[in-house]
Parts: sequence; C-alpha cells; structure tokens
Amino acid sequence: MRMETIGTRLLGLLAGTALAAGALAAGADTVKPPAKSATVARPAHLPGYNTERNAYFGDLHVHTKLSFDAYIFNVRASPEDAYRFAKGGAIGHAQGYDIRLIGGPLDFVAVTDHSEFMGALREADDPKSPLSKLPIVQGLFSPDHNQIAAAFTRVVTAMQANKVPKEFSDPSIAGRAWREVQDAAEHNNDPGRFTTLVGYEFTSAPDGRNLHRNVIFRTAKVPGLPFTANNSRNPEDLWRTMDGWRARGIEALAIPHNSNGSDGLMFQTTKFDGSPMDKAYADLRRRNEPLAEITQIKGTSETHPSLSPNDEWSNFEIMESYIGSNKMITKFAGGYVREALKDGILMQEKHGFNPYKMGFIGSSDTHNAAPGSVEERNFFSKVGREDATPELRGSVPPGGARTWDPKAPLPGANTARFQSWGASGLAAVWAEENSRDAIYAALRRKETFATSGPRIKVRFFAGYDFPADLARRHDIVTQAYAHGVTMGGDLLPSRGRAPQFLVWGVRDPNSGYLQRAQIVKGWVENGQAKERVFDVACSDHLPLDKTAWRCPNNGAKVDVATCATERFKGDVELRTVWTDPTFNPKQRAFYYVRVLENPSCRWSTWDALRNGTPPNPKLAATIEERAWSSPIWYEPRT
Amino acid sequence: MAIGAVIFLSAVGLKSLQRPVVRIDADELNQLGAYWEQQMQRPPTRDELRGIIGERVDEEILAREARSQGLDKDDIIVRRRLAQKMAFASEDTAPIPEPDDATLQALYARTAGVYATPERLALSQVYFSETRGADAAKGAALAALGRLKTGAPGTGGDPFVMPLTYADITLPDLGRDYGEDYARAAAAAAPGSWIGPVRSAYGWHLLRVDGRIPSAQPAFASLRAQLREAWFADQRQKANTAMMDRLRKRYRVEIAGAIAGGAGRASSATVAPEPNAD
Repeated sequence: MRMETIGTRLLGLLAGTALAAGALAAGADTVKPPAKSATVARPAHLPGYNTERNAYFGDLHVHTKLSFDAYIFNVRASPEDAYRFAKGGAIGHAQGYDIRLIGGPLDFVAVTDHSEFMGALREADDPKSPLSKLPIVQGLFSPDHNQIAAAFTRVVTAMQANKVPKEFSDPSIAGRAWREVQDAAEHNNDPGRFTTLVGYEFTSAPDGRNLHRNVIFRTAKVPGLPFTANNSRNPEDLWRTMDGWRARGIEALAIPHNSNGSDGLMFQTTKFDGSPMDKAYADLRRRNEPLAEITQIKGTSETHPSLSPNDEWSNFEIMESYIGSNKMITKFAGGYVREALKDGILMQEKHGFNPYKMGFIGSSDTHNAAPGSVEERNFFSKVGREDATPELRGSVPPGGARTWDPKAPLPGANTARFQSWGASGLAAVWAEENSRDAIYAALRRKETFATSGPRIKVRFFAGYDFPADLARRHDIVTQAYAHGVTMGGDLLPSRGRAPQFLVWGVRDPNSGYLQRAQIVKGWVENGQAKERVFDVACSDHLPLDKTAWRCPNNGAKVDVATCATERFKGDVELRTVWTDPTFNPKQRAFYYVRVLENPSCRWSTWDALRNGTPPNPKLAATIEERAWSSPIWYEPRT
Repeated sequence: MAIGAVIFLSAVGLKSLQRPVVRIDADELNQLGAYWEQQMQRPPTRDELRGIIGERVDEEILAREARSQGLDKDDIIVRRRLAQKMAFASEDTAPIPEPDDATLQALYARTAGVYATPERLALSQVYFSETRGADAAKGAALAALGRLKTGAPGTGGDPFVMPLTYADITLPDLGRDYGEDYARAAAAAAPGSWIGPVRSAYGWHLLRVDGRIPSAQPAFASLRAQLREAWFADQRQKANTAMMDRLRKRYRVEIAGAIAGGAGRASSATVAPEPNAD
C-alpha cells in the first residue's frame, strides 16, 4: 500500500525534475539531464534506484541464541536482536556489556543459525521442557568460560558420534525456531532501507573437516524445515534437495565458508565419496553454489603463503587449525579459493567442466547476533563469553600483568585460537536498489565483492571496445556496462585481441586510504594452472614498475602506541584501465581485483591500547585491510 | 571410575575421615577428560589425567578456603556475575497483556517523529576528487561553480563511483554516503540552483536539488505492528525498572558524604557493565 502511494508521487517528482534539469543543465557538459527514467518509470522503484547499480554492504553469516553453540556460549540475543544491531541499534553481549556498530547500519543481513538442533538448547534450558531432564543437559549452561568450553565439547562430541538424544531432533522444536527466523526476517525487511534474507547454516564436518555452508533463500517462500547435516553430511545431497526445492518454486543458493578449516576437503578435485568428478556433478555444484565466503573472523581463505609464495600479501589473517579445536591443518590445497579457481579452469581445459566458478563474498560468522561486528577498533568477540574479554582473546597480558613475559606459560588452547582470529568479513553487492529481489539477483550473477571489514567499493569490468578515455569519462560506468562484462561474468574471445580491464577502488570514509589496486590472474599454460599478482594502480602518484608490476611502497606508517595513521599517504580512489601484457588468447584464465588499504592497527593492538599495555608480540600489530572483487573468467572455448 | 577412587583417596587421605571431602564425581571426571581431549585431539595419558584432576582438586580447595576467609565478599567479578545471574533470572517473569487500539493510538501520537518517512530528493552533482589534492579540488570546484552560474560550458569535474545524478535518494542516505555537511546543504538548497562546494570524504562537490518529496507521517494502520512491538519493549523495560525499584526499597543506600533514601539511584552506578567495547 505504502509503496503504491509513494510510487505515484514519485512520478510527479520525476516529471518536474526532468523539465527543470533540462533547462539548467544546458551547456553544462558534465551534467547529463537527470531522471531520463521519468518517462519510463512504470514500476515504482525504491528510493536510491540506480540502473548503474549501487554498492550495498551486508553480512550473510550470523548466529543467534537459536544456534546450539551460541546458546552454550551464553548468547541470549535473538534474530530480532541481530537485525536491530545491523540497523545501528545497541544490544546486550553475553558478558553483560552493550555492543553496537560504529561504522553505520548495514544494508542487508541474513540470520543463518545452525540448522542442526536449531532452538533445542534454548528449550533444554527451560525447566518446564522434558529436554531439561536429559543427562546431557545437566550443567550445560554455566556462565564460566571453562565450563562453557567443556559443555561445547560435550555437545559437539555427541553430535559427531551421532549420540545426541533423539528428543533434540523433535521437528516441533526446530519448527518453532525456524518460524522465529522467518518471522524476524519478514518483520525487519524494509525495502529501500534494509533487506533481510531467510537463511540457515548446513553444518557438516566429517571427522571435524569443515564443509559448512550457508543456505540463503530468495524470498519468504522456504521449506517447512531446513535440510541439515543430520539428514546427510554429503553436500551433494544438500544440492539435490535444493534442486528439488527449486522445482517447487523455492529458490536458494548455498555459500561454502571456512574452507581454510576443511583440511583440503572443501575444494578437493573429487566428489565427496572420492570418485572422479563429472559434468553432471559440476553442473549440480555450480547451480547451487555460485559464491564462496572468502573471509570471516575464523580466518581468510583467499590463499595461503605456501600456495602463493610469490604473493607478498598472502599472509593475511591465516587460520591454520580445524574449526573449534586446535588440531592443525595438514593440507592447504583444497582449502583455499584461489587454488580452487585454478583447479576449476584446469578441469574445464582438460575435462570440459568447471565446478569452481565462484564469486566472492565475506561475512562475519558472529555468534553474538551482531552482524558486521568486524571493526578493528570496535571488536568485541565472536563466541559469546568464550572470548568476551581481551585477556581471553590473548590481546593483553594474562593475570593483569603490565608487560608480556617471554617465560610465561603458553596461553590456553582456546586463547591461542581466538588471538589468531581476524576482525574480518563483509559481503557487498552491486544492485539497482536495496531489495530482496535486487540483492539476491546480484548474488546469483556474482556481481559481488568481499572486504575484510571496511566498506571499500570495488568496480571491475573487462572488454575490448571501451572508449579510449574511459577512465576519465563521467559516464564511465554506463560505458563499462555497455562495452564490457563486470565481475562474476564471462569474457569471450574477440579475434585474438587483448581485453582491457577497468579497475576502480574507492575508500571507506570511516577507514584508511588506499595504497594500491591489484589484479590477480590465474591461467592454464601447458596443462598447468598458474597464478600471478599484478599491481595495476599506485597511490600518491607513485610510478608503477611495469616489469615487476609492483608499486613502490608509499611509506604509510602506523603509530602502534596511538593507532594514529598518516593523513597524507594513500588515495581516496584508485582508477585505471589495464591491459594484460601476458595475455594469450588461447589460454583460459580468470582475473580478480584486490584493493589494499594503508596499514592500520589490528583489533588486538586496539585492545592493548585501551588496556595501556604493549601489543602481544606474537601477533601482527598492524594489518592491511582489503577488498576482493569476484573474478571475470576469460573463456576461449566453452 | 578407578581413577576417581584413587583421587578421592589421595585428596581425602586415609589418616583422618574428619576432614572435609572434595569429591570429583564420574560426570565431572568425564567432562575434564573430554575438555582436555577436545583441545589436544587425543586422550590424556595417565600422568596427564592425574595432573588435570590435581588442578581441579586444588582449584576446589582454594575456592573453599577463599570462601571461608570471605574473599568472595568484595570481589568485583564475583559480584558482577551474581548480579547478572539475578538480572537474567528475573527477566520475563510476568506476562505482558496485549495492548488495545487506544493504547497504541496514544503511543502513535506520542512518538510520531520516529516513524516519519525520510525526505527524498532528485539531485545532480559535479565531483572534484581529493586525489587532485584538497586545495586544487576546491579551487576547481569554485571555478566550475562560477561557470555553471553563468551557463558557460565545461565544469571539469571528475568521474565518480557513486551516481552524478540521483532520480530519487533519501536525505539519510546522502548523509551516510557523503557526510552530514553534504546532507545539510542538500536539505537547505533551493531547487534548481547550483550550490557548493561541499566537502565529503571523497573530495569536493557542487550540487543542485532538482526536486523534493518532504518527509511524511505514515498512517496509524500501517504502523500498528511496529507500534505494538515498541509498546512491548517499553513495557518490558518498565517492568525491569519496577523490579529494580522494588528491590531498592528493601535497602537503605549509604554513600560516603551523603545518605540516600530507599530509591537512591546512585547505587546503580556500581553495577554498570565494564566499558569493554567502545
């Protein structure tokens, strides 16, 4: 009702606008007459509608008290609270303090609670519920962080051994929780201002090797209950189920995450049962998994230093242990996205199918119902009471000490893990307006990018016929869409010509300045997949070395005693049109953009600063925040 | 179980059965073992298990000694934890009745501004990038403004990652994307005239408002669900405050240099949460 009213009034506004602007804009070569769309504004668009698309930032990985683990971590915030937080409101943290975003509200959020035993722990904590009488529940809800760890272990061990009492799987319990998730999404969806998406996490981890996925639904039309890892640990069964939903008009996509904790399993080159992949498998996977979450608090999964020894920026918020334990990863190949993209184009070349044609997003994986809580200077934990204080996170010396004693005993296993976590992960899309339809469509076409927390904006296009002055034109985006493909798309060959790439990064006004823009290329040469990182735009008017393809260091420094950064280093925006000097029209390839900020304090350094103690010498004091575009694939033959 | 018995014996000792007992039961023993195993990814050896249990027994003994000496009395952590447990336990005890329409109408009248739709604009801008240097960008913007006002051609603005022309954008969104200075300038601008330059985090902007839909107040019917929710939140808050007031009345609060009555609010300052996040 409201929309119709506004739509009608908007038509009037636009009609008046076109006249006024037409008269005033005459002679102003830089200003095109606004609102050409006035004459065609039949569907009532939302405020902010932009045919050239806006960047929207969100979080597609959020847990609340409905997740079994979050409940054990003493988190009592609900899906409603999660949306309130994302809209800029304050909510209570399990430890008793209030939390809120300092970087402004998010544009879109999906609450994605674990579907396994969804809502069951809350019911078990209710003395009126029969669940509360079960032996496994006794002593499960302590506020003490050591007891919490033990309780978490008890439940996870029972889950992995398939020994959770059947009462926990009562469909009426999951049904109540699933209803609550849907109601909160419905109730907080505010087209034009804030988009909610219904979702859940499919939590499969055979032998602890992480195969988790978030399932995100396009509309309010969702299945009666989620398909969970209790139904099958094999993601192929999830995808087949999603195919079945789609046949019934329920559209969803799945986003794998924490491939870094899969010990090589997430992006292995065989099927789940070890048999060879085939085209049917690749189609099934791609139909259901167009995206990968490449960064979140439990580490960044772009690439690992051992996989990309020539990438000086690969050692970024790397987590080398299993999820939820200190067991160490032994196999990095198969656990990182860049390698998966390379394996994918190699399979396309050799076998004619590519299961790994994925765009990128980041997200938080907060278990505090706190979407977007990945701000370095405002980082307050991920897992409720478990890492609720700087001491528990290993960012200040234990026991109230004022200095770091090199002879002090090593931190407890949990602290060792928490201190390696990064305050990272936002999802971003280019969409016409802030609505479910527009944002979901952007996710589907992979017109997405990921950031490590700051709201850096990244544009990326490839084409053969851009105007020569593209980077300086005012209609740059119109031209780029008209003559090229954007992130997530396929570039087809054009008579052997080398494509041009428009790369454009713009800083987050609440974060640092930009130091360089890069293109990461992967390609197939002589039956092998290779990779190379090219700096393509340098800050501060520094000259780009076009042999090594590296920018000089711009010299931006951080004072770790105050976390102050230098104002006059780095750029507001980096914009260039680049041609690949190594382009070979016969070689299958992918290209994606990485934009780097100047160094700034890591969350652990901010913790130390507030505590008046030195940063933990075992941790990086500063990081280089970044954004990654989804790739563009060059497809010489399909 | 066998290990439990050993510990039981070693902690209690054989000499005197008069001593207080530290008992680690089978459940807790399993929990200790499982916790260790989760961290280390293998079961503890016998020696390690002895160590784990020894630590737990010592912790219990120390905790009891501390309590018997009253060390828990003035401990801020213990106090805070008990207070949090109590506050949590006393939440949602009494059901809140469903509000009638008159109640919600009154709330609607009281909180009108909260639900108003934001002002919306059609707007054009010319952008001068900070990468030119702040002074150069501002200078170019001023020169361009002169040309725009006289209708002379050529403004020399830069491309921008956000739209140079908005058909429909809300004032809060302008504030979010360009900062409050920009939003204030747009709000105050007379339609059809170029104004500026206004500074944002990206550089300097000239802008012209081409049309405007003022802020409006949605009808009561369309807000009923939101008002109902707000009413419940408010009632819960009131119930919590009332509970705290009732409890306060049971105490006489004395503060150094002053004596407060039963409803002294000053006491609440001592239970404020630690300022952990900013």
